[in-house]
Amino acid sequence: MNKLKKYMYQPKLMGIVMVVCLWYILYAVLKTRTIPAPLTTMQYFISHIEILSVHAGASFLRVLLAIILAVSIGLPCGVIMGRYPLLDKVFSPLLYVLYPIPKVAFLPVFMLLFGLGNVSKVILMLFIIVFQLMLSVRDGVKELSPHYFTVIESISDKKIHMYRYVILPAILPCVFSSLRVSVGISLATLFFAENYATTYGIGYFILSAWMKMNYVEMFSGIIALSILGSLFFEVIDCLEKTSTPWQS
Amino acid sequence: MQSFITIENLSYHIGQQKIFNQLTMHLKQGKTYAIIGPSGVGKTTLLHLLAGFIRPQAGEVCVAGELLNKTREKTSFLFQDLGLFPWQTTYEAVQMPLTINGNFTRLEMAKKTEVMLKALDIVQCKDYYPHQLSGGQKQRVALARTLILQPDLLLMDEPTSALDAMTKETIQHVFLELQQRYRMTSVFVTHDIEEAVYLGDIIIVLHSMGRYQLIHNKEPDVILSRETQAFYNQCFHVREQLRIGAKTQ
Repeated sequence: MNKLKKYMYQPKLMGIVMVVCLWYILYAVLKTRTIPAPLTTMQYFISHIEILSVHAGASFLRVLLAIILAVSIGLPCGVIMGRYPLLDKVFSPLLYVLYPIPKVAFLPVFMLLFGLGNVSKVILMLFIIVFQLMLSVRDGVKELSPHYFTVIESISDKKIHMYRYVILPAILPCVFSSLRVSVGISLATLFFAENYATTYGIGYFILSAWMKMNYVEMFSGIIALSILGSLFFEVIDCLEKTSTPWQS
Repeated sequence: MQSFITIENLSYHIGQQKIFNQLTMHLKQGKTYAIIGPSGVGKTTLLHLLAGFIRPQAGEVCVAGELLNKTREKTSFLFQDLGLFPWQTTYEAVQMPLTINGNFTRLEMAKKTEVMLKALDIVQCKDYYPHQLSGGQKQRVALARTLILQPDLLLMDEPTSALDAMTKETIQHVFLELQQRYRMTSVFVTHDIEEAVYLGDIIIVLHSMGRYQLIHNKEPDVILSRETQAFYNQCFHVREQLRIGAKTQ
């Protein structure tokens, strides 16, 4: 009984249970082929786990590569813009113009420039994540109390120590919260991008099932995409917890 | 005794406002100097000049025979708000100067940190972050961080101003113990005359434009300048008013 109570208080588990219940209600009320039974879908999902893993794996690698590139570019650029007002003045207008444009509109341009393969898809996601990250990091650095810099200056006059002991730990929370937002958006965009010139990816899998009117397959693809999204969120949460323990 | 800190003809102004004009001061090694004076005369600015955070527009500051044109490794600064980083545990904060210094092995660093944590009685909170510490504990952590490299000059900006009376007394006691152990030259700013008298060997009463009077704490027949006497009277008047206020409440 106590164990059951413990599980009841797990918000994520409760969320999954609620979604399945809602799904089941929709299935029972609408009685349409478009909404398959949760149990049938789960059975299909388990029996086709290998092919689903291949598609989800392809999407995972694209997003992961985009995140790594975005952090490697966005983090130093954001820090530099936060520290040097002149550079911020020069580049901020560019960011403000590019940031609000829906990046998915650039997909045809990227396809023309970088080909139909993975490169254009990764660059599209990189574009989504990097601006968000750059702005968050820049603002995080700007908001840092100047006092912290005086403190580190009293201990060391080397710039590297200022970055290692003040800026980097201080901006980590900004990096993770911006990743959490932008990874969600980039997954949605990837779903769209994977419908062009590819035969691998969870977006392709879902849309291909939809065109075949195989709704059980389509829903199992949606489950795989949800798991992929949750996996990214869990990893980001886990990294945040371990690298910013002072926040908990 | 030769001067450890020499300030020669120092002038410093912020915009149009002159803080110091041709200030000359000699401070001896191993002594504790308390800087007191009315608000806005440049007590903290003087401390920052001694630390090398800011540079004078004219004149020079020499510490241990070297002309000061940047921060020194052997000078430590205890900030008014302590300046503890929210992302560092007590242990990390105390060890940071050793890591930055780079001349110690891992084992040496661990040993030195443990010794300092014990000396300041903060071993039990070595894994705590600043928000998990009490005011007194934070003060001890900051003090441990400033002393770990055994500086020859310790500068403190109102070190006990944010503490309650009991903690203040404990920290003052800790400071006196550490001062006896490490024999460093200390300069601190305070608004509390009693603290200045209790901790300082020599009190620097700073007036506007960098005029000052040095009062040797142990000298019984000191003749106070008119300005110093006025400042003292003002402080004691305020304290008397506070005492009367407290009684009537």
